[in-house]
Amino acid sequence: MAAIVLESISKYFGTAAAVDNANLEVETGEFVTLLGPSGCGKTTTLRMVAGLEQNSTGRISIGGEVVSDAAQGFFIPPERRQLGMVFQSYAIWPHMTVFDNVAYPLRIRRKSSQEIKDRVTNALRLVEMERFADRPAPALSGGQQQRVAIARALVFEPRVLLLDEPLSNLDARLRTQTGDEFRQLQKRLGITSLYVTHDQGEAMALSDRVVVMSLGKILQVGSPEDIYRRPHSREVAAFFGSPNFLEAEVKDCRREENGSYRLDLDGGWKGLCHASGELAPGSKALVMVRPENMYLKSGDRVYGGGMSWNGIVKESIFRGANRSVSIDTAAGLLHIELNALSNPRPGENIEIFAAENSAWAVPA
Amino acid sequence: MTDNTAGALPGRNIAALGSASAVQTWPSRYLSGKNVLVATLIVILGFLAVYPLAMLFYGSLHSTPPGMAGEFNLNGYRSIMNWTNFVVLLNTIGISLAKTIPSLALAVLLAWIIARTDTPWRDKLEVLITLPFFIPPILTAMAWGMLGNPQVGLLNQVWKWMTGATVSPINVYSYGGIIWHMMQYSTPFLFLFIVDIFRAMDPSLEESSRMCGASRWRTFRNITLILMLPALTNSFILSLIRGIESFESPLFFGTPAKIEVITTEIYNSINHRATPDYQYATALSFAIMVLMFVLVVWQWWLLKGRTFTTVTGKGYSPNIMKLGPWKWVTFGFCILFFIVTVVLPVGQLIIGSFFKFFGFYSWDMLTTEHYVAVANNAEVWRAFFNTMLLGLLGATAVMTLGSIVAYVSIRTKWRGRRLIDALAWLPWMMPGMVLGIGFLWAFAMLPGPIPIYGTIWALMLAYVALGTPISVRVMSSAYAQLAYDLEECSRVHGATFFQTMWRILIALAWPSFAVGWVLAFFGIMRELSASILLYSVGSEVLSVVLLRLWSNGLAEQVSVIGLMMMLLVILFRWVQLKLIKSRISTL
Repeated sequence: MAAIVLESISKYFGTAAAVDNANLEVETGEFVTLLGPSGCGKTTTLRMVAGLEQNSTGRISIGGEVVSDAAQGFFIPPERRQLGMVFQSYAIWPHMTVFDNVAYPLRIRRKSSQEIKDRVTNALRLVEMERFADRPAPALSGGQQQRVAIARALVFEPRVLLLDEPLSNLDARLRTQTGDEFRQLQKRLGITSLYVTHDQGEAMALSDRVVVMSLGKILQVGSPEDIYRRPHSREVAAFFGSPNFLEAEVKDCRREENGSYRLDLDGGWKGLCHASGELAPGSKALVMVRPENMYLKSGDRVYGGGMSWNGIVKESIFRGANRSVSIDTAAGLLHIELNALSNPRPGENIEIFAAENSAWAVPA
Repeated sequence: MTDNTAGALPGRNIAALGSASAVQTWPSRYLSGKNVLVATLIVILGFLAVYPLAMLFYGSLHSTPPGMAGEFNLNGYRSIMNWTNFVVLLNTIGISLAKTIPSLALAVLLAWIIARTDTPWRDKLEVLITLPFFIPPILTAMAWGMLGNPQVGLLNQVWKWMTGATVSPINVYSYGGIIWHMMQYSTPFLFLFIVDIFRAMDPSLEESSRMCGASRWRTFRNITLILMLPALTNSFILSLIRGIESFESPLFFGTPAKIEVITTEIYNSINHRATPDYQYATALSFAIMVLMFVLVVWQWWLLKGRTFTTVTGKGYSPNIMKLGPWKWVTFGFCILFFIVTVVLPVGQLIIGSFFKFFGFYSWDMLTTEHYVAVANNAEVWRAFFNTMLLGLLGATAVMTLGSIVAYVSIRTKWRGRRLIDALAWLPWMMPGMVLGIGFLWAFAMLPGPIPIYGTIWALMLAYVALGTPISVRVMSSAYAQLAYDLEECSRVHGATFFQTMWRILIALAWPSFAVGWVLAFFGIMRELSASILLYSVGSEVLSVVLLRLWSNGLAEQVSVIGLMMMLLVILFRWVQLKLIKSRISTL
């Protein structure tokens, strides 16, 4: 059973649509991330699930129960939705101790003091903060506050956990570590989580599925690998890293067994690649090849399918772990990431190639 | 912080590169100019605050009025230790408490309505609600004296006409009247503090409580109110202090009913006795200073380490509660507050100015003779020009002094800046009445022929002293919003210290300066308690003339002058709001 169902929900501020006709299903136990640049409507979507904003159209259900239906004028306020939420600022109440902060949801629910003590201690142990129970909340570091916020959100065993950019206020190293720890905890508890971030790396590393949003619309929903390697549109493709885009004409298009399409292309060069939708022969396609999936052709190794280009090295920048090289080819200027040890010099004529399974076409 | 990062290494390099002579002469010249400025400020502030305070102490031990030969004794302190004065003390504290508590509750309610609900036209309502704070209390005191007069008050007349009753329900000459009148000032005063706290609070602190399952009301009690508690406590004590200092309300409504508080007791002992008892009044003033000091220490102690940072600086709008049809109830409530605190008194002034005798409202009594009388009254014109002159010069002087003091105390690391800050803050604890007496002694004790007493400059000095704590505060917060980088960047790009001050700091801080200037002007225009002690023939100000006319029973002419002052208040308030708006859009 789906834990969260959004059915064509929209949110208008005045006449501007912050979220425009979004549909989404989140399965029980799943970790789904809403990803997009700031102002894309991801936080508004999360707040509508929370009940902190009222959706202008559509219906929201949590755990099979409708919590908001704009057409019926039906709306359950946030305190009755049984959700846990971690805020970007953590919202740790400065006038309470760590223990009181975490105990708050239980006190609201009038649990016995023994039960409160047990469950708060458990929750704090879960995030390794039990030693800090008696600290006043302002005496915590950012990372510790974040853990307390998670403990508070989990302590009453909510149906769903909502997280609004919970890692964005931490420094880079702590961010990775805390993210990984949280993902393990989430898997262990099997708690359905809806997570908002603008950080692509975070979304990739943590999620079961990623929802890419832009300008209030959902562009694509899929596993991190799908989103990264098999985007439906140029917009989604360009959102991650800075891929090469090559214009080409479709010569042939065949359906594969796994549901994708295999294309034969001509853009002054010839090659094979895949696409998610059918592209009619003769139509224009845009081929996405990521810089890290291109290789220098050397010796007489045999390369299965794919495509290759000849060109002159324009620039070669050593970056430590790898080397960024730009190559002037008939298809335009291509950027590739090479092993730092190979060292093509500017002016040198080289041949590069991309395997068939790493090139992906989207409609131009 | 910037000193460590920016100053450490590059500073040493520059010193090593520069010639030896430049390194020696530049700082020493700089230091001396700086010392002269600091010394000047200390002398000025010392004269404005410490000198009158010291003279107050001197006077309390001196047996004769200022400027006469006498002996030193403790008679003053002995004479204030009696049962009557104990009642006066209880009255003072009791009345102040009795007005502060309901005012605070009302201010929280109004601030919540304005900052956190979808009540229609909230921005306009906010302007209306805060307006009473800017009206001189003497005006509303007189208006309420006419509205709530037990014999002929308009409200009583209307009530009797409507119900046929013969007994007047309202008598403003009572404890209730004093408290009622004080509340009209303290509510908007507290509102101004509280509404910003409501606005600045990080909304996620409340939202997370709702997500934890707490209802709106519970969240308000458990989170919002508790988080505001330090700020509320602070406002509570401030309002309590203002209540103890208050002079107009007890003078107008207490004295006729034989209810005395400390300020009116001081006033009476000088003005309403066969021989003014200066030693008694001075000793009493010193006693009120002690009370103030205790309150201020209490305030510090309460606030120690209790300021919750709830402001994250993230540009979220605060949670707005949708009230549905109830929003018209809250709207009506705000309008009712405005009607009671502004429309009723101002309406009374308008009515009062057009009838021959106050209290007798019939068609054949309509007249404009009071306007003619006021226009032909040379004393009123003189007082008007004095007030304008003092207001314009005084506000400029207060703000200039405040800007310099604030700059030295928060943007430099000069030695002596803490002393300057403390000196500038000292008059905050002195009620106008007390400062007035202090200056009476101070002027009388000035060596040689320095004829300050009896001129309007005596009033000017008192106004500058009374206004400085507020002007320093206004300018401090203006400077605090400007990052050091702005100044440093200007210096790095070749501007001198004074160019930087003029083109960067003043250019950015002038809206605050202007807003503070208007506040200072209001302060001077409404000041009564120090003026009444320091004025003399020829240097009257409007508030003093109003009080004299009122005591002579000329309530109708009082109404005319009151309306003139009201027009000024509205004009300046309008200018101030325009400035605030333009500042928000540019910063």
